[in-house]
Amino acid sequence: MGAPFDIGYVFSFLPKLLDTLGVTLLIVAGSLLTGIVAGFLVALPRMYKIPVLRTLSGVYLSFFRGTPILIQLFLFYYGLPEILKLVGLDLTRAPVMFFVILTYGLHTGAYAAEMIRASVEAVDRGQVEAAYAAGMTPYQAFSRIILPQALGIAVPVFSNLVIALLKDTSLAFTLGVMEMTGKAQTLGTLTQHFIETYIALAFIYLIISFTLEKMLLAAERRLTRHENREDKRESIFRLKKRGSYRTVLADINIGKGGGA
Amino acid sequence: MIALSHISKAFGRNQVLQDISLNVNRGEVVVILGPSGSGKTTLLRCVNYLEKPGSGQIAVGDFQVDCSRARRGDVLQLRRKTAMVFQQYNLFRHKTALENVMEALLVVKKLPAAEARKRSIALLEKVGLGAKLDEYPSRLSGGQQQRVGIARALALEPEVILFDEPTSALDPELVGEVLEVIRAIAREGITMIVVTHEMGFARDVANRVVFMDGGVIVEEGTPDEVFQHPKEERTKQFLRRITPEANYSI
Ligand SMILES: Nc1ncnc2c1ncn2[C@@H]1O[C@H](COP(=O)(O)OP(=O)(O)OP(=O)(O)O)[C@@H](O)[C@H]1O
Ligand SMILES: [Mg+2]
Repeated sequence: MGAPFDIGYVFSFLPKLLDTLGVTLLIVAGSLLTGIVAGFLVALPRMYKIPVLRTLSGVYLSFFRGTPILIQLFLFYYGLPEILKLVGLDLTRAPVMFFVILTYGLHTGAYAAEMIRASVEAVDRGQVEAAYAAGMTPYQAFSRIILPQALGIAVPVFSNLVIALLKDTSLAFTLGVMEMTGKAQTLGTLTQHFIETYIALAFIYLIISFTLEKMLLAAERRLTRHENREDKRESIFRLKKRGSYRTVLADINIGKGGGA
Repeated sequence: MIALSHISKAFGRNQVLQDISLNVNRGEVVVILGPSGSGKTTLLRCVNYLEKPGSGQIAVGDFQVDCSRARRGDVLQLRRKTAMVFQQYNLFRHKTALENVMEALLVVKKLPAAEARKRSIALLEKVGLGAKLDEYPSRLSGGQQQRVGIARALALEPEVILFDEPTSALDPELVGEVLEVIRAIAREGITMIVVTHEMGFARDVANRVVFMDGGVIVEEGTPDEVFQHPKEERTKQFLRRITPEANYSI
């Protein structure tokens, strides 16, 4: 395929691809924010077993987890404006980015909802009773006892979720968004050095994933330091053992694997 | 003084408590005995509304509530006048021993941090944990965790402390240190209702012993009356079954 392999192109493509890194990260950040808000809205009716809303949450989860992200992108981009036209809302001029972030956000929301529900439910019920017995209100018990522990439990799943999202953003180019993968396609077509662009592209994704994973692992360690039975000072520089919370989550296994 | 009147509770079709009435005077230590499934835990949990009683009245100090029309505010009030020590300790795992004791002082009693801290340190010293203030529960033994649980209950200055089998999750060699702490606070005149299987302990701290079976109070009296001269056949049977353990207790 294309021109003969030339490693020099890999290096010259790197800065060109990095120019569009901002777009990729914007999609990731925007979708994460949307996804966490959506996740809470979907998780709450399920945790508190609110009728009707709970069923709607179920439908939402099935749709976003049961259909390919690519189809979701097309449905939202081409379908949503048509539907909204019926109620007199004109979205045809909305930027593509709006649809991209909305779709990835709602898609992420489905996984975030399960992450939130599982993490909250993994906090031992006895502690909540102790909080109530001491006279705390449900809100105080949630914010002071459940939430801080649920955060620590959620991080490994959150980490999977962010990395899956990062990889999924590579499909946004199908709607014509010039993010990193789109740029790589263009560079490849222009120069006929496809292999080199994809090597450069994979390298950048790898570095970002790796950095995110390390950052989140550090966050997890900090949030769960109370479960560390070794001396605090020593363990900072050691790799964490696959400890209690991670085994809890291994059973739940709600992390999503791979791309679309 | 605590007054439970005509408390009933059912889980579905299972009537677990039937018209239970029990008064506990200020400074009194009441020990509840009874076979497994007799409703001891449920009764204790009804007192602070961790279980919602089906009917009856609960009075703690000057506060009284009718269970058939208890509102959210009543439940909070009731809980602020009682404290509980749990079988599984139920410490807040993301908080140190000191923070566990301080938590309700800050959040519920709204004390200034310095004051809460001072009081909590004093209580932890009292239960013998002055050297473990900054440890997380995961780094404390069961006996130490339960002593933090007791300090946490004392911090609330409740009208009554409810103990649900405070030593039955502990390794045998750790039971003594926890019972010793409970004995010491009993001597200070703190009102307590204690569910326990430690007969020796029951005999020497209780002012009154209540024997429950099948969701009713079968018999109550001084430890001497209940242990030495039980009147009811069910009490006698129960005591015969657990006697070997009674000798072994500390
Ligand atoms: N949450 C619940 N839901 C349904 N049934 C329950 C619940 N809690 C307790 N029960 C039932 O209520 C009855 C009394 O239980 P309880 O725990 O009060 O007994 P107990 O006297 O504390 O026993 P033990 O000595 O084993 O702790 C049992 O039949 C139990 O199965
Ligand atoms: Mg019990």
